Amino acid sequence: MQSGRNKLYFFLLLFCLAGYIWFYTGYRSFPESGDRARIGCLIKHTTNVPCPSCGATRSAISLIKGDFAGSLYWNPIGILLVCMGVIIPIWISYDKIFRKDSLYLFYRKAEVFLRRKAVALPAILLIIINWIWNIYKGL
Amino acid sequence: MDAQKVDMFIMSNGKFFESHQVAQIRDRLLHLDEAKWPLVQSLQFKDPTISLIISLLGGSLGIDRFFIGDTGLGVGKLLTCGGLGIWAIVDWFLIMDATREKNMEKLQRILY
Repeated sequence: MQSGRNKLYFFLLLFCLAGYIWFYTGYRSFPESGDRARIGCLIKHTTNVPCPSCGATRSAISLIKGDFAGSLYWNPIGILLVCMGVIIPIWISYDKIFRKDSLYLFYRKAEVFLRRKAVALPAILLIIINWIWNIYKGL
Repeated sequence: MDAQKVDMFIMSNGKFFESHQVAQIRDRLLHLDEAKWPLVQSLQFKDPTISLIISLLGGSLGIDRFFIGDTGLGVGKLLTCGGLGIWAIVDWFLIMDATREKNMEKLQRILY
């Protein structure tokens, strides 16, 4: 369990760091170039159709600028990602300082929770609706 | 357990595990109680080749991670366009080993 926990925490921190760098570079180039020109989405660059999370960078940038409605318009997933980017490092430092496994245990429980049909089906439906909205908006 | 049964299991399921794990699995199965044989035999493992195909086709949506049972990482991949496309490409090379690792975890739950 110890190695699994450390692996997960290392991975999450790495992921957050990559996210921060991505958002920082996006923030500097927005809105002149946007994030359309950057390589970020395999689906978008190969098929020219936006993927379910296209627009998340623009959404996060709008949120940081204080434009909540704009961020909701670009992609609601961006708000979720910003929340995760803020909460995860704090939670990991809490676990490290107090020598606890709370985030790891929460992650394992969340995995089991998400696998339940009653949760997975509405979640998939929401993602698909968001995807259709993305295509409709032409992100 | 009977060596013939164990060898049959290894022959039909060897491809689902890392090569260095096969000898260990064989050894462990030989010392396993006969009563657990039906349970071991009924286990369904994920095929690494299938997960590679899924990763090539739907890696950006995290479907490969969902397929092998890594729901948390699958959600992470789905919400970030396959980790900005980079993670999706990295996973083309990692997913087969990750699948074998997951299969081993599944078997270990019965063996230990």
